Amino acid sequence: MNKYEAVIILNPNLSTKVDDFLKDFDKLLKDNSFSIVKTEDIGRRQLAYSINNHNKGHYIIFNLEGDPSKLLEIETKIKYNESIIRHLFLVVKEHSSEDSSLFTESKNKKPESINEDVKVESKETKADESAKTKGEV
Amino acid sequence: MSKYDLPKNFDYKNTDALRPFITETGKIIPARVTGVSASNQRKVTKSIKIARFLALLPYTDMHQ
Repeated sequence: MNKYEAVIILNPNLSTKVDDFLKDFDKLLKDNSFSIVKTEDIGRRQLAYSINNHNKGHYIIFNLEGDPSKLLEIETKIKYNESIIRHLFLVVKEHSSEDSSLFTESKNKKPESINEDVKVESKETKADESAKTKGEV
Repeated sequence: MSKYDLPKNFDYKNTDALRPFITETGKIIPARVTGVSASNQRKVTKSIKIARFLALLPYTDMHQ
């Protein structure tokens, strides 16, 4: 038995189908005698660079326990799952009992729709400002 | 206090804690500049590289 920390980045267009994915993934893990200790659904997040032409990704972090020999089968399944744009399994000595900083960050963040509106507004104001400065010049 | 203080528990998920250790262009700042001990610098480096793979931190500022 090893303890794992898994980070999975899902296609942001499938954000609404996360529950289905979690069910499927749960089944896949159980079939391979893995147990989920904790799940952190972080949600959509801006990627630092684009992966497969996606600028955002839906992050999910799992704390898992299971057998190393079975991990390979899980990874091959993940590899051919097109809704997953990136994944990483890390072996850890101990699972942290606290929430990860990403999770707390996402909880504190305002709902995304509001943020997007703000972004659009700020862009417009910037455009206005640049137009003004040009006019002055 | 220097700006390169290490928090008590930092890992690849805590990008705010790692950001002081990369330059504006995304490079990892060497230990001779940060003044962090060699073993801590190795931990920082490893965390940054994992965070880069997960697109939490940039590899460079030239990403399209």
